[in-house]
Amino acid sequence: MPRVALTGTASYLGGRILRRLVDARGADAVVAVDIAPPPVALQGVRHWMVDLTLPGADRRLVDVFEEEQVDTVVHAAFFTDPRRDAAYSHELESIGTLHLTAAAAAAGVRHLLVRSFTAVYGARGKNPNFLTEEHPPERNSRLAWVRDKVEAEDHAFSFSRRYTTLGVSVLRFATLFGAGVHTFYTRIFSKRVVPVLLGYDPLVQLLHPEDALDAIDAVLAHGPCGTVNIVPRDTMTLLTALHLSDKLTVPVPHLLAYPGADFWWGTGVGEAPGGFVDYVRYLFVADGEKARRELGFEARHTSRDALMAFLEYRYPETAARSRDAREVEA
Amino acid sequence: MKETAKVVPIRGRTKRRRRPPIEDEGRLRERLAELEREVASGRQAREREGLLLTLARLVDAGARGVSWASLARLQRALYFAWHSEEVDDFGSDRRFAEALEPLLEFLYAVWWRVETSGIEHVPAEGRGLIVANHSGVLPYDGIMVQLAIRHEHPARRVCRMLALDMFALLPGLAPMLAKSGSVRANPANAERLLRREELVGVFPEGVKGVGKRFKDRYRLARFGRGGFVRIALRTGSPIIPCAVVGAEEIHPVVAKADWVGRPFGLPYFPITPTFPLLGPLGVIPLPTKWSIDFGDPLDLSEHGPEAAKDPILVNRLSQQVRETIQGMVDGRVARRRSIWFG
Repeated sequence: MPRVALTGTASYLGGRILRRLVDARGADAVVAVDIAPPPVALQGVRHWMVDLTLPGADRRLVDVFEEEQVDTVVHAAFFTDPRRDAAYSHELESIGTLHLTAAAAAAGVRHLLVRSFTAVYGARGKNPNFLTEEHPPERNSRLAWVRDKVEAEDHAFSFSRRYTTLGVSVLRFATLFGAGVHTFYTRIFSKRVVPVLLGYDPLVQLLHPEDALDAIDAVLAHGPCGTVNIVPRDTMTLLTALHLSDKLTVPVPHLLAYPGADFWWGTGVGEAPGGFVDYVRYLFVADGEKARRELGFEARHTSRDALMAFLEYRYPETAARSRDAREVEA
Repeated sequence: MKETAKVVPIRGRTKRRRRPPIEDEGRLRERLAELEREVASGRQAREREGLLLTLARLVDAGARGVSWASLARLQRALYFAWHSEEVDDFGSDRRFAEALEPLLEFLYAVWWRVETSGIEHVPAEGRGLIVANHSGVLPYDGIMVQLAIRHEHPARRVCRMLALDMFALLPGLAPMLAKSGSVRANPANAERLLRREELVGVFPEGVKGVGKRFKDRYRLARFGRGGFVRIALRTGSPIIPCAVVGAEEIHPVVAKADWVGRPFGLPYFPITPTFPLLGPLGVIPLPTKWSIDFGDPLDLSEHGPEAAKDPILVNRLSQQVRETIQGMVDGRVARRRSIWFG
């Protein structure tokens, strides 16, 4: 019986995907591949300890895939947060995906699904309001975080061009937001005082984790589909999101914000390096039309739903207040 | 006596403590629901007390009452006083537009006394591309064209203006333009809006038009590379020429000091008789008399969407639209006796 292998099961999204797959297909049909065991005690799921950063990882993965008769691989071993040890994240994300893709191609895997981010388009002033899948990702971003993700996508596609048996789907998810999500983005939304850019209020897309899981289901059911944006139903402005969360915002001129963010990042206090200032300055809203057209997938939640799910989990009182104000208005 | 005194209150207390027998559970439930509603409405009333009360509460409590949370609440009340919680997918905010409207209406009706003609040429429904001449240093002409269509057209249509990068990305102006319904000028954006059967306004002169000197007034600059014609051909939208007269004199640019603006990402830095001489006062536009004329729509459907790939045809159509608008502008300027009174 063909099985699904899943990497990055120790991460938040990976753990949720694993649970969803086990619920749908049974524990025997799923194989977890990670350096750490899955966070949820799921009985019967076989866990293979593979370190994707090691030079021999590809050979070990071939063994795993052949032994388990894997025909679909879901690759979710990516860092949602920027990391200070850029060398390690490069090894894991770019080189790790190279190993994984090579192994998948060699072991005759049919479908490789790679988790990616809409942030790979880069937040640029010249972006159109809706980024379609044809828009090139930002290969020369000043953020290693973005460059590694783009390289991982490229590795996956280059192997699928050489090995016709291997089909690739790259799912670019919008910013995940919801109960239990811990990313640098939600950490910023957990502070009392949040610096924002003076005179900028870009549109943001916050994706509910349930929608991300539904999208993965849809892609697994559909088969390889290339690059697809997975986005929430609508957008909201960054300041609306922050004020709905009762944050005190401090406007900072953008000329100070870039070096300031780099400084705090360097001291170990900041959540993200200066390159991320672009993401609160310009929009990087992706278009979900291709997912609707080809996969029949449409998100059930709005950006506001995702924000409310997060607030309900983290700040129940603020969530209740925002909901009341909404009811009164309606 | 002592004993009775001891006994009586105890008895009395036990009597008072005894609960009334449950007569009707349904009624009790109703009462409970009623109390819950009261609590909820009280909370709601407190939450939506609005800006003035929030401020008053802060003033009343003084420094004692100031905390991160109270400041955040004040900021929230300030923000949602003129922003709604929802925007459309291009970022336009209804409440923000409504909050700004009195000021813009003042500019439209009192300050510039805009006279609009030919509004019947703007289609009442379906897509349409309004092409106008650009001038006036700041994008006031776009806002006035938008207002003219919204107020004078019987269908009260909303025209999405395409804003130049220098405005659409300028700190401070950028979110204001987006929330009031403008969209960054970009072929993908324009095409998406037109395919949604919206009305789109464009200034093909671009930076060359809006920053032109006073001596070049009412001489239309080159119309870009004809991108607007290609979009109209691809989407099969009619082009409605529009001539704005009066905007050229609101900020007469006598000289340019482009090196001042360059570090801030501005393509030009205008010097007018009042700016930067009078400082912030120099930003106030002069109260000229404006007119906005819409001309006969140009139907491009005979060419078909494939014609967008024919550069010679695109350039010819672009020239044709430019000459039409130049003619409309010239006619209006010739008829005008005074800059201030029309």
